[in-house]
Amino acid sequence: MAGIRLENITKRFGAITALDGVSFEVADGEFFAILGPPGAGKTTTLRTIVGLEKPDEGDVYLGGERVTETYPGDRDIAIVFQNLALYPDRTVFKNLAFPLKQQKIAKGEIEERVRATARTLRIEHLLERRPAKLSGGERQRVALGRAIVREPEAYLLDEPISALDALLRLEMRTELKRLQRDVGRTMIYVTHDQVEAMSMADRILVLREGVVQQVGAPAEIYHRPANRFVATVVGSPPMNFLRATASWEEGTLRVSHPRFQVAAAAAHLRERLPEGAACLVAVRPEDVRVELAGEGMPATIYATEPLGGETIVDLNLDNRVVKAIASPALALSEDQEVRVHFEPRRLHLFAESGDALLSAAGEDVFAFTLAT
Amino acid sequence: MTTMPQEERVRFTADASTSRWVVARPWVKVVAVVMIASFFAFPLYWVVSMSFKPRPEWNPPGKVYWAPQSPTIDNYTNLLGLKSTEDSVFATQRSASALTPFKNSIILSVGGTLLALFAGIVTAYGIARFRAGGGLLPFQILQLRMFPPVAIIIPLLFFYVAIKLYDTYWGVIILYGAITFPFVVWLMRSFFQDVPREISEAAIVDGCTQWGAFFKAVLPQVKGGLAATGLFVFILNWSDFLIAKVMTTDVHSTAPVYLQSLQGGASGNEYGLQAALACLLILPPAIFGLAIQRYLVRGLTFGAIKR
Repeated sequence: MAGIRLENITKRFGAITALDGVSFEVADGEFFAILGPPGAGKTTTLRTIVGLEKPDEGDVYLGGERVTETYPGDRDIAIVFQNLALYPDRTVFKNLAFPLKQQKIAKGEIEERVRATARTLRIEHLLERRPAKLSGGERQRVALGRAIVREPEAYLLDEPISALDALLRLEMRTELKRLQRDVGRTMIYVTHDQVEAMSMADRILVLREGVVQQVGAPAEIYHRPANRFVATVVGSPPMNFLRATASWEEGTLRVSHPRFQVAAAAAHLRERLPEGAACLVAVRPEDVRVELAGEGMPATIYATEPLGGETIVDLNLDNRVVKAIASPALALSEDQEVRVHFEPRRLHLFAESGDALLSAAGEDVFAFTLAT
Repeated sequence: MTTMPQEERVRFTADASTSRWVVARPWVKVVAVVMIASFFAFPLYWVVSMSFKPRPEWNPPGKVYWAPQSPTIDNYTNLLGLKSTEDSVFATQRSASALTPFKNSIILSVGGTLLALFAGIVTAYGIARFRAGGGLLPFQILQLRMFPPVAIIIPLLFFYVAIKLYDTYWGVIILYGAITFPFVVWLMRSFFQDVPREISEAAIVDGCTQWGAFFKAVLPQVKGGLAATGLFVFILNWSDFLIAKVMTTDVHSTAPVYLQSLQGGASGNEYGLQAALACLLILPPAIFGLAIQRYLVRGLTFGAIKR
């Protein structure tokens, strides 16, 4: 049992810096997700942890022990590659037995452990088949099995279910989560799918172009994004950003938009904004309330996307598109005039650079008033 | 991607003007195949039938025997030294039976092939997986094949005499290996490139050494390619004449060189014996080919990875 710690890892491929000073720590037994768009350095991070890539700078620790120079086979970490990399010439049984054979484990015990693993993953009936004869989901299980059967200190999974079809993905998501709980080992899960990361992980690391953007629990990532990138990567449809101007009034920051004003105490802000600076007021679609009439900000409907349980509404608010989630009970049609409210306790304020200044996250830190 | 409706596509292919052709085609095909096959198979037939003809039928003036009139296996027994021949001229012409050259051919061809395969797959894997030697190395290796061996065979002969490799098994094996090495590198490189890097990496993470991963995880994926490459290289070595002729004497000489000794001189052309030896020479590559036939089928790696 062991946690994993990366310290200031930098990895370059020629002129490209794949990882730039990446540091984070994964607790023992934790389900840890690394989230980022393609090319963010997620796979390189995994490969560095398992030892297939050697970092140019920095160190990898496993259970407090420095393993930067340790041979991959001696690290006791299993990895499931994105392309699975099953041994096509071997049956499922032999695929699962392979890592045990390398450890010179007795034949009887290998047989026992392979069968037990196959039972856990419900692939017992496939043991004599070759990978070519399996479906995508079955191959996925075999690849997982080859990792589990070793009972390693930690598992690394590289986009393990992204190639499966949508329904199967949903099923595997819950199964993986359950499996990790049952096995109780550290698991690092790489994905570009925010839903997977949010729904499965204990904590999420958001990676962009080899730089760590934020590490935190899913709720924290969602409600207190460290910057505009993180705010956009999680949540669907993504957060709305509205350009506004900052001004100061005796220790209170006032942010003015043509349709509204937001005020917050200076003490709450992570950074001070200069007078007259541009900034961004942000709100998630589910925190935008659409009403047919009333006191709110006037807006027109640009388009609606009814999804059955809810309707995504594209609003034209002062010539900017603002996405909102509305109840399907509301009769909305294109070019209709509506009134819009923002939930003040869910507002976010970002500097123009994209760094978060303040997120309400359910607290009364913002005073929201309509422009007159 | 837009797909055309099924009916639409069927109508396109079932064109009225081609229908007569469609009926006639099987016959045309059969006749054409038979003609082409006969054309290419005739020399083989001629060699096989010649090997069973007695001496008077070999090359009689003004007459052609399309098949042996009085079939005999004398050519084979003479060749293998199983029967002393009454033909005294013939008996003195040759020093010994074909058995020794045949054995030498097998030793040298197999040895050269194994050497080329071993050096070649290691080099090819290095190039394919680790870009060993940089981008130019494959072409530098190919340069070895850009001049004919005959261009260097004479200086090489002096060199071989000097380092005492002349007329030895090892001398010829090394030459065979060196000459076919570039083929192995180029063929195997492309096979290795088709094996996903993650397969060897999975083996390494599972506890194999770099060599272990190569032998246990990667090499089984290229069995088919390895078999095909081995057969190709073996045939090249098996049919070599020049190197064996220059680099060996009778003791270490090969069957193709022996074949050449069956013509000219006082005895004239020993057509029947030449044909019998040719038939025997076909056997090893043919057996080798049949033995590995199932490995020659590609597609073993299908399904190993998600695409």
